[in-house]
Amino acid sequence: MVRLLEIEWLKVRHHRPFWILIGLYALCVTVICSGGKIFLQYIESRGANFNGIGPSILPIYDYPDVWQNITFVAAIFKIFLGFIMVISIANESNYRTLRQNIIDGLSKREFFLGKILVCCVLAGASTLLLLVIGVVVASVYSSVQGFEYMFDSMSFLLAHFLAVFSFLVFSLFLVLLIPKPGLLIVGLFMYTLIFEPMVSAIITYAPHGKEWLRPVAQYLPITSMNNLNHIPFPRYVMQEIQDYILLKEVIIASVWVLVNAALGYYVLRRKDW
Amino acid sequence: MAILETNSLTKKYRRITALDQLNLIVEPGMVFGMLGPNGSGKTTTLGLLLDVLKPTSGSYRWFGEEPSANSRKKIGAILESPCFYPFMTATQNLKVVASIKECPPTQIERVLKMVGLWERRDDPFKTYSLGMKQRLAIGSALLSDPAVLILDEPTNGLDPMGIFDIRQLIRDIAAMGKTIMVASHLLDEVQKVCSHFMVLQKGTKLFQGSVDEALGDQRTIEVASDEHELLGRHLAELAGVDKLTFEEGVYKITPGADLNTQAVNRFLFDRNMVAHHLVEKGGDLEQQFLKILSDQGA
Repeated sequence: MVRLLEIEWLKVRHHRPFWILIGLYALCVTVICSGGKIFLQYIESRGANFNGIGPSILPIYDYPDVWQNITFVAAIFKIFLGFIMVISIANESNYRTLRQNIIDGLSKREFFLGKILVCCVLAGASTLLLLVIGVVVASVYSSVQGFEYMFDSMSFLLAHFLAVFSFLVFSLFLVLLIPKPGLLIVGLFMYTLIFEPMVSAIITYAPHGKEWLRPVAQYLPITSMNNLNHIPFPRYVMQEIQDYILLKEVIIASVWVLVNAALGYYVLRRKDW
Repeated sequence: MAILETNSLTKKYRRITALDQLNLIVEPGMVFGMLGPNGSGKTTTLGLLLDVLKPTSGSYRWFGEEPSANSRKKIGAILESPCFYPFMTATQNLKVVASIKECPPTQIERVLKMVGLWERRDDPFKTYSLGMKQRLAIGSALLSDPAVLILDEPTNGLDPMGIFDIRQLIRDIAAMGKTIMVASHLLDEVQKVCSHFMVLQKGTKLFQGSVDEALGDQRTIEVASDEHELLGRHLAELAGVDKLTFEEGVYKITPGADLNTQAVNRFLFDRNMVAHHLVEKGGDLEQQFLKILSDQGA
């Protein structure tokens, strides 16, 4: 395990695109997740108001809302981390270092496990970053302070970990299947941010859609990740939201992790490298 | 115990059979050449033996064991072009290899010096010339001090100096008692470095044997003199000659087992003749190779 991590560390340590994408991800997440109040103050200054209340007083960074809010916003940027997986593994295929690793005495199982560990570490780092951002922005903006409030709803961080990990394993499977970085980056972007959300929305909300089809949407891979954290913001206009994590949704997302990992491993085993 | 044993190893792609029922035994200490034209299945064979290609059928054993990642750690191999992380330096690349092979990184200095890349160890791989890349690949293959070294077209694309260096390196490594497998389409190369060889064509093994044996019945003695007509008449009376031909002023004798240059010299001397050219030539693998191919065609 330690050896596999060490091997992966040696590989990425001097890979500049890897660190640029990581930096880009951290920057985006930090700016967007901590700049919410500033954004609300800005739109208020341009005359926006919700049912007579100025947006800048919305308690988006108050405990316990802060965890669901920042993890919801951060979720969209996991695509950057997906790109990192795609680029690094497509490179291993194109430079034929994957093949050389196997020749040198790494089993395909070890190679795969190493990449799963990378997914784990990236998801963990992302979660850690959000923990820090959450604590910092809440300490600045939250109207309630103190440890007793901090841990409330922190489970959204665990859900965030699962969502990112699931997405990275999904990317891992795809890039092992099709090791073409350009195609896959565009494809992953389109599918994750446009195609599946659209299909999912159509299935769920189409007025003349088949009733039996509506619940199917939650079983789609990207939707299963997104469902770990339902959109929280309508609560600020007095609508009811799901401000908890449903066990069923955790199970669906976890099953996708297993399915994608199994498929990825199968492809790696079966292919000629 | 054989280093390598294959049993009806076969690889089929959709339409073509890249390797057909290969049975092969490589014994310790052999420098084993895999000879064959481009596309004859050499790299396919090595790919199968190193678990990067899935065999359609058949099996193989390294060191008498079922193949595993651990048996590959005892093998140093390069397939086709050298494969390294282009943005990393020689040292950084070899660190990855050392962790994979679970051998101490202190070996890196030894192999880099051995292949003459120590001075360039901190330059990125992508800045290397082809010869340097090839040398780094050989160094990497030697990193774990493996019992077996597998080299696929090791001199491909190199300049004459580079070719000479690599061949010298192979001979040095062979002298250390390691088993080496070299795939090449260059007959000359196999003849120069190998002790044993096999010939592959269209995925089928046509021949396997030792280089010396294959060349043994290819020995010729060349004789020339100023008076070549007289020389010819005398040579016709020489005992132990299997075949005598005359080409471009030189008589070529295919000798029987007992005949050598010394005997020819003595024979001519006794008949008051002096040769200005008397030399024994080993066989040429090229002729043998063509013979194997044409035997197969017949």
